[in-house]
Amino acid sequence: MRTAVTRIACFAAAASALTALAIVFVTTRGNAATVGKSSVVEVKTAPVASVQDLKALYRRPDSIPFPKDNPYTLEKVTLGKKLYFDTRLSAANILSCASCHNPAYGWGDGLPKGVGHNMKELGRRSPTIVNAAFGQVFMWDGRAASLEEQALGPIAAEVEMNLPIAQLIAKLGRIPEYPPLFQAAFPKEGLTPASVARAIATYERTVVSRRAPFDAWVEGDETAIPADAKRGFALFNSKAACTNCHSGWNFTDDSFHDIGLADGDIGRGKFLPNVIKMAHAFKTPGLREITRRGPYMHDGSVPTLGAVMDHYSNGGIDRPSRSDQVKALRLSIQERDDLVAFMQTLTSDLEPTTVPILPR
Amino acid sequence: MRSITAALVIAFAGGSVVAFAAERSIRQKGKVFSESAVTIRKGDAVVFVNDDSVTHNVMSTDPGNEFNIGSQAPGVSTPVTFDKSGEFTIMCAIHPRMKLTVKVNN
Repeated sequence: MRTAVTRIACFAAAASALTALAIVFVTTRGNAATVGKSSVVEVKTAPVASVQDLKALYRRPDSIPFPKDNPYTLEKVTLGKKLYFDTRLSAANILSCASCHNPAYGWGDGLPKGVGHNMKELGRRSPTIVNAAFGQVFMWDGRAASLEEQALGPIAAEVEMNLPIAQLIAKLGRIPEYPPLFQAAFPKEGLTPASVARAIATYERTVVSRRAPFDAWVEGDETAIPADAKRGFALFNSKAACTNCHSGWNFTDDSFHDIGLADGDIGRGKFLPNVIKMAHAFKTPGLREITRRGPYMHDGSVPTLGAVMDHYSNGGIDRPSRSDQVKALRLSIQERDDLVAFMQTLTSDLEPTTVPILPR
Repeated sequence: MRSITAALVIAFAGGSVVAFAAERSIRQKGKVFSESAVTIRKGDAVVFVNDDSVTHNVMSTDPGNEFNIGSQAPGVSTPVTFDKSGEFTIMCAIHPRMKLTVKVNN
């Protein structure tokens, strides 16, 4: 009976959506592809998953994925870590990658928005690099297709580290201890823009969240997380439907959604201006180490996880671009607190990160 | 499992030529296209079926093959007819992990 009711509801929703789709229906004359008329089809609703089934969706991977064209080597990671923490990668010699992606703040900076060249505030919050190895696209608006592509962007950006890449290479070349490290890590190419990017990206891929209480619970230790967190996990996967976007072991679908925040930043919409849902859309952040990573959202406008839950409880600004997955959840205080309790179980016992001795 | 549905079209030219346009169905459950690549003939349609629990937005930005079906709610099916030969990349604008290559033969 429940399935039948769900199917009817699904049909009604689809029929309603068709009306909206008809408005944006586009026939592209003279083009190679022509969009035809949409119709409603029956979709089988999956049965409600058991807690055990749900746990299986969040199991940690056994290894870190490295791309075939930039495999892991110890020499690369060692060099990449030095570059990552080296303030000489900025024009003013005061900003390193770690300035905005600081291990002490969950690999972010703890600020509502990043701070760049001449101490000027940037447009968005500094995203964490935790678990970047598992990402598909990078930056809040997805403009970098790989970590290698991302790595050089902030160095050269005038508002960030303000060091043109040609100057960066010349500068590193003048530091006597750097060229031998590049030669060891990249015997065929030595010090080049590509090798700088590949070294930094390789180091960043090693920054992976450690085992959290949630992982122990997923693997069978029922005492690893408290009862309110278990209720929160159930809500996360049911009424709150957080998992529509925060899915998988790293709690992100690496996708783009407008969650109804008030700032005027159009995010992904800059690159896909003809897609309504991409206006104000930003990449879903993962939730690992989330308690160490406030304030929250791409604009740093929400100070606490409780306030994040309040945002989703209210649903944010209802506009055409708002994700269909974001609706006013109308959470009770108990539900709000349970969801926060669950997210607290995603924080691991991180060991302090050692700062490397830099080449001179 | 591939479902190919012979659809439409019967065209008469001098009473001797009969052409068939075919449809290939691609589903989107679990934020993945049901196939990573399909090969069709020019004039055939690929029918994108959203059998997922979330909204999708199938599109292509390949020059000469741009299309955008807009927001597609769960339970909606939309055909896209390909009238030029070539190899095209199709994606979901919302979920860029979803990629499909459509090869259109003459």
